[in-house]
Amino acid sequence: MADMGDKAREEFFSEAHEIIEGLSRDLLQLDGSRGKGPVDPELVNNIFRAVHTLKGLAGLFGAARMSALSHELENVLDDLRLGKIELTQLALDLLFRGITIYGRILAVEKGTRADPLSDIDEFLRELAELSESQSDEAPVSGAFYELDPGLLAVLTEYEEHRLRTNIEQGQSLFRLRVRFELATIDAALSSLKTKAKPHGEIITYLPTGEGAEADSIELDILMASKASLDVLRSLLGGEQAQIEEVPRRSRAAKDPVLVPSRPGSHAPPDAMGFPSAHPPSAPPRPKAVAQRPGALPKGGSTHAVAEVSLRSVTQTVRVDIRKLDLLMNIVGELSIVRNAIGRLTESVRKSPELREIGMELYRLHRGFERQLADLQSGILEVRMVPLGQLFDKLARVVRQISREADKDVNLVITGAETEVDKLIVEELSDPLMHMIRNAIDHAIEARIERERVGKPAVGTIALNAFQKASHVVIEVEDDGKGIDETKLVSAAVKRGLLGQDEVTELVHREVLNLVFIPGLSTKSDVGELSGRGVGMDVVKTNIGKLGGIIDIYSERGIGTKFTVTLPITLAIISALIVQIEGRTFAVPLASVQEAIWLDPAALRRVEGQELMTLRGATLPLCRMNELFGLTSAVKAKLRPYAVVVSVGARRLGLVVDELIGQQDIVIKPLGPSLKKVKGFAGATELGDQRVALVLDAPALIEEAFLGGSDAAVGASYG
Amino acid sequence: MADLLARGRNDRHRGIKVRGPRVEYLAFRLGADTYAVPIGEVREILKLPPVTEVPRAPEEIVGVVSVRGLLVTVISLRARLRLQATESSRKGRILLAMGAQDEVIGLYVDEVLQVYRLAESEIEVAASVLGGRLGDYIVGIGRPDGALLTLLDLRPILGRSEPVARDAT
Amino acid sequence: MRRILVVEDSAATRSFVRSALEDGGHLGPFDIVEATSGFDALRLLPRGPYDLVITDINMPDINGLELVQFIRKSDRHRSTALIIISTQSSEKDRARGLSLGADDYLAKPLDPEMLLSTVQRLLSNRPAAG
Repeated sequence: MADMGDKAREEFFSEAHEIIEGLSRDLLQLDGSRGKGPVDPELVNNIFRAVHTLKGLAGLFGAARMSALSHELENVLDDLRLGKIELTQLALDLLFRGITIYGRILAVEKGTRADPLSDIDEFLRELAELSESQSDEAPVSGAFYELDPGLLAVLTEYEEHRLRTNIEQGQSLFRLRVRFELATIDAALSSLKTKAKPHGEIITYLPTGEGAEADSIELDILMASKASLDVLRSLLGGEQAQIEEVPRRSRAAKDPVLVPSRPGSHAPPDAMGFPSAHPPSAPPRPKAVAQRPGALPKGGSTHAVAEVSLRSVTQTVRVDIRKLDLLMNIVGELSIVRNAIGRLTESVRKSPELREIGMELYRLHRGFERQLADLQSGILEVRMVPLGQLFDKLARVVRQISREADKDVNLVITGAETEVDKLIVEELSDPLMHMIRNAIDHAIEARIERERVGKPAVGTIALNAFQKASHVVIEVEDDGKGIDETKLVSAAVKRGLLGQDEVTELVHREVLNLVFIPGLSTKSDVGELSGRGVGMDVVKTNIGKLGGIIDIYSERGIGTKFTVTLPITLAIISALIVQIEGRTFAVPLASVQEAIWLDPAALRRVEGQELMTLRGATLPLCRMNELFGLTSAVKAKLRPYAVVVSVGARRLGLVVDELIGQQDIVIKPLGPSLKKVKGFAGATELGDQRVALVLDAPALIEEAFLGGSDAAVGASYG
Repeated sequence: MADLLARGRNDRHRGIKVRGPRVEYLAFRLGADTYAVPIGEVREILKLPPVTEVPRAPEEIVGVVSVRGLLVTVISLRARLRLQATESSRKGRILLAMGAQDEVIGLYVDEVLQVYRLAESEIEVAASVLGGRLGDYIVGIGRPDGALLTLLDLRPILGRSEPVARDAT
Repeated sequence: MRRILVVEDSAATRSFVRSALEDGGHLGPFDIVEATSGFDALRLLPRGPYDLVITDINMPDINGLELVQFIRKSDRHRSTALIIISTQSSEKDRARGLSLGADDYLAKPLDPEMLLSTVQRLLSNRPAAG
């Protein structure tokens, strides 16, 4: 325990003891009341607060074990009071044991007992397990009330929960306006509480700020009760208290219904009184979005009026997506500022004279960072729509095409609730339709054929979507005849896309990727051969434009699977910042496998292509300064870096001079005037107006493999 | 910009009488020659911000810059008009104009001079002055107060992706 | 001498805050007044003016948010500096407190240096209220 003065120690122990004794009493009461009707929320709350205070105390005085114990107990109690777990016998037992352990810890700290306290860790684990067993309750709908948003704004999370719970249980809400003399307020309050308790629950007390006299105070008390207004008036009314019922909002036909949400449950973010810009079809998200507190009540007189309306709770707003783009742009600009502030903060912190300012700056920067991240996610969530919309459309296409092609095809969809940026969904429509059409027209065999090889007469096309880290993966799979590699290769050779000698070196995956080459897409040639018809190169380009990649896997006679991997968001990506001849460039981290130092001794040349061996596999290299025709006055670096980028199965080492660092960047597209320039996915602003070009890894890889005359297609494996 | 307009007005007040409706032209220097474009075609004039070169881009492309977050491609007007190369000057400026497909383009010029308000009488339309076929981007010649301005129409200059053809002079 | 009202239901925490702030640093010693609850604070507020009110958010009956709102609405205390104390995880409460008009927040567990420097920062640009 921390070194404190004697007086402080005394205070610590005496307060701790007092709290623990109170805890004990309350727990006993809780135990006694179990099974005899609803659990008294006030009791649970008191116990929670007691543990919370103990935690604070322990923290202040450095009593680590007590702190840890309080932390776990607090979680369990918070879950209990917020209704996330039930008050079972197990829970009660654990709480009682907790109290015993408190006693032991205090004794040890005081020095009056020697106790190794070795069983604490096990106990903490049991507490943690109890906390994790929370159930997600389904949201309950109910009528809602006319409540001042200003009132809602000052409810703590716990009070909000109590309000919601009472509404769900069908209680009515009442507002009591009382005036107390400050001198006697404790007694008067206590008496009011005692009178009110049997009839309902007091949610909160709000000082109105009215009442000019300094020696009295006026309060609005929000109370939930099943009793009627008259009954309450007779019990609690009088000169000191005016009681009004908070009117229920009349249910017009179009009024959206209040869906109270619980933190952690699958419901739209808590929007009591706060309009939410959630599109109606979006599935609920478990993470709560940062809230905008309601506006303060105007002037001083709002409370005098009984009716102020609670705006409907799950309001939805139609948003022009361009406005969202604007907001995202602003977020992007703020990100740049945040990065700049971060760098500045680092410099300031290094200076000893500015230490205090540095600390402050650091704290502010961290806060800014958090808020910005929340803002960004918030806006992105607004843009997200479930893929299900697109999948439904595709299902209709499947029915139509299969009728035309006279084949029986079954479309199986999973992951329709996976959400993607709205713009991505729109761009995906064509490529996915393309793939499905090809699958039905060319891949899936005719009924007779299928039966002959022992497949079910009805062909299956599967559409799967799921989220993987910061990407969305969409798979299009069919159980058709698969891709005939031999024919694909000979078609490529015939069209001059592949040298005969390179053929033997091609690995399975390389062959399959030939499907994406323009020039192999003539239907007459390849439609029958490859199981794929027109336009796979277009599909690949379109997906590339979205910042995604497409991969293919196929087995002859069994089927083919295309895997499309897309970033969830278009706008902000993580990138590796590098320097080439003193100029700064960004490489999207999604394409980067690793960055390595180049050992000049490990390099060699094969047919004009520079290579190195990386963990047993050959890695072709591309000297970026040469590719870009950049030179500088500085002598060439002896040991430059290679940024290994990969797309699908192919890898390429981009040789750069310096690795600057990793950073989130806002990637902006280059204008049409630069469309013809190869190798760039866009540009980003790095701060103080400097622009860095963002490399297009897939394009560079393609250029290295298929473009340049010296590029050896077969030289890369793995 | 304000002082440029003021200068233009001052010139007029020096007592030279002109007639007819006026169009304002922004005059700038490319090399040793003075050109001008209708002021309405210039959205903004920028001092040189840091310009990022774009490797492997056509020679006329100077690079890209960021204008309050907007990415703008900067083209050398001199290069696009296939004029002789000159040294870069510290007075270089970027004129923002609207290109094809709603793209904002930056045109690099060696120096921005002033705004002239030209009356019809001060403009000699191209065909009559220079005779013969010319690139369709030259509107004519302006001669305010003895100055000689080659008046350009930016639209064909920007709407094309290739530099415009021009008779050798 | 500047006056600080500390509203906090835990006695030990009040004690802790007092000892962290009492010397006051370059702003001289502070006069620290303790309130044990929201109601107590309401009773003590008229005895102001205070330069600064530090209040915990999670208190029963009148919680810290309600106190912040009350203070900001009153003419007398409208420009009193206001710091809220919250637990690490209650971001919602913190956001509400700040938007209701608190000047800054501190998260528990309290760091005495941070507490003192925040107080000094808030008070150094203001003249003493009393």
